[in-house]
Amino acid sequence: MTFFLIALGKLVLLISKTFNLGSGSTWPGHIALESDKNFIKKLLSRNKELKIILVAGTNGKTTTGKLIQTILEKNDRKVFQNEGGANLLNGLASSLINQSDLTGKINYDFAVFEVDENSLPIVLRNLNPQIIVLLNLFRDQLDRYGEVDIVADKWKKAINTVDKSTTLILNVDDPKIALLGKNIKNTKYFGVTGSNSDREHASDSTYCPKCGNRLYYKNTTFSHLGDWLCDKCGLKRPKLDLEKFQMYPLPGLYNKYNTNAAVLTAKILGISDNISIEALRNFKPAFGRQEIIEYENKKIQIFLSKNPASFNQSLETINDLKAKNLLIILNDRIPDGRDVSWIWDVDFENNLGNFKNIAVSGDRAYDMALRLKYADRNDVKAYEVLSDAIDESVDSTPNTEKLYILPTYSAMLDLRKILIGRKIL
Amino acid sequence: MEYKLTIGWLYSDLMSTYGDRGNIIVLQKRCEWRGTKAEVLNLNEGFDEKLLNNIDILFMGGAQDTQQQIVSKDFTQQKISILKKKIENGTPGLYICGAYQFLGKYYKDADGTKIKGLGIFDLYTEHPGEGKDRLIGNVVIKDTNNNIIVGFENHGGRTCLGDKLKPFAQVVKGFGNNGEDKKEGTIYKNSIGTYLHGPILPKNPEIADWLIEIALERKYKKKIKLEKLDDSLSQKAKKIMLRRIFN
Repeated sequence: MTFFLIALGKLVLLISKTFNLGSGSTWPGHIALESDKNFIKKLLSRNKELKIILVAGTNGKTTTGKLIQTILEKNDRKVFQNEGGANLLNGLASSLINQSDLTGKINYDFAVFEVDENSLPIVLRNLNPQIIVLLNLFRDQLDRYGEVDIVADKWKKAINTVDKSTTLILNVDDPKIALLGKNIKNTKYFGVTGSNSDREHASDSTYCPKCGNRLYYKNTTFSHLGDWLCDKCGLKRPKLDLEKFQMYPLPGLYNKYNTNAAVLTAKILGISDNISIEALRNFKPAFGRQEIIEYENKKIQIFLSKNPASFNQSLETINDLKAKNLLIILNDRIPDGRDVSWIWDVDFENNLGNFKNIAVSGDRAYDMALRLKYADRNDVKAYEVLSDAIDESVDSTPNTEKLYILPTYSAMLDLRKILIGRKIL
Repeated sequence: MEYKLTIGWLYSDLMSTYGDRGNIIVLQKRCEWRGTKAEVLNLNEGFDEKLLNNIDILFMGGAQDTQQQIVSKDFTQQKISILKKKIENGTPGLYICGAYQFLGKYYKDADGTKIKGLGIFDLYTEHPGEGKDRLIGNVVIKDTNNNIIVGFENHGGRTCLGDKLKPFAQVVKGFGNNGEDKKEGTIYKNSIGTYLHGPILPKNPEIADWLIEIALERKYKKKIKLEKLDDSLSQKAKKIMLRRIFN
């Protein structure tokens, strides 16, 4: 049965690719799992040598996964990842089908899977990872995921069932994530040394995950991440195994977290820092994550910005990069979250002063223009048609400068389609 | 004469999950754009209840369950009675989602546990139980002056108003209080309770102006007509949403 489903899956994949149906990254797995809900378990039982690394968290999954893959490959390991965005169980199954031969053999050393927040429990019921990397939990798509506490609770239950041989790699700076390692023997912690004393408005986990008392922060990096402690029950940020590395391939504080997570993963696997450094030197960002695209002889850099924490980090990073030309694209489709209320939690106030040109587009262009108006920018140009927004923004960007584009997820796919003719890779 | 208003934001750090801050920004900016000073006073855990006496406009947003429990504990009898008096006396206020439920008599959660509310609004809220759908989506309502209001709702609890309590608006599209009686929110004296996120005020600035106007009239004891502002962007954002929902 398993062989038949692999063959069928590959056929579906082929059809989907040939006719450009664009659903090849989830369909084969969907069909296989519908026919046999133990499909993944059975396929993996034939591939005991394949090691699996899971990466989950609201922000940074794709970049961290790619960083891990890059380092492992530098160490001559054969690695594959699930296709961009296909991070539900059916996406993982599709990826396994795609990489296996017709006899069910997967000739790789590692699978690095990014996993959707809600899907982590079901994924853990289907496979036994060697390493689980948990990055963070921020408010995101409340219409789909529910509140941060609900996701954290699901994770806690799921993590408590993992095999003893599994290593957890946790972000200590996120109190709810740090607490997940409490009963797990093989836990390693990464974090980043912060310098801020103020917290952003959209901070979520500022209360002790154990006793509910308000947490005290010695310092923060961004949002609710930092060096925290509870002076009521004594719970505090655990000791770090890694907080600083010699080399960060991408700008932005958030990418320090992603890099530290990847490097710590490599260390656990016995890879030397020198190999990690060498690998990171040539790191190319994942699609839409600081990706640079040449278009009409101008340089465009895309910063996927999908929730308050990621948007705040994008704004901070492009301000550091002295950005002058900005286009924001706000959609409200299912992958973006249908509720755009979150844009009012982004700290635009006092962070827009350096931009000469600001344009907005997307399904909810006027909502974004309105948000910026209330942050005292009256000169924002709003475009209902995305290609107009791109053309005009590119035109008004001088040759010597870059155009920075901050899109939500589906907006990023639409944008790439216009710029390079395809949504993902 | 220079006017000044104090906006009291109840539990700004605990009760602000769904972009609720947008409502505060809109109230503050619309005052400032008209030359009225607007001070925002954050009333966080452990605040001195006497601070409530100087508040001209009250605001409270939604929250996660754990946060709401902390707020519940912090609401002492003195705080409740001052807040009740202010609302009864006509202090304008806006209470969104979790705050709207909290001002009612009780909230029965998914597993049947009853959580006492502040008992200021004659209403109660019940969650129909685990496995029942949350009421989620874009929503269009019409208030008593026939103003069309747009927003986004996302709530598990179903709210029922007492016989004498008026709804804030009628549901045109969406669920409203309970998905059944076509009522949305409540309006009691000068307080509005509603499920509308979005947040509600940016795209429906007439509600913000209503709150500001009443606050000024009460404070300065005279008839006040607010200067008109350019709301063309709000209109466009609203129109896009209406076009999508009704086409």
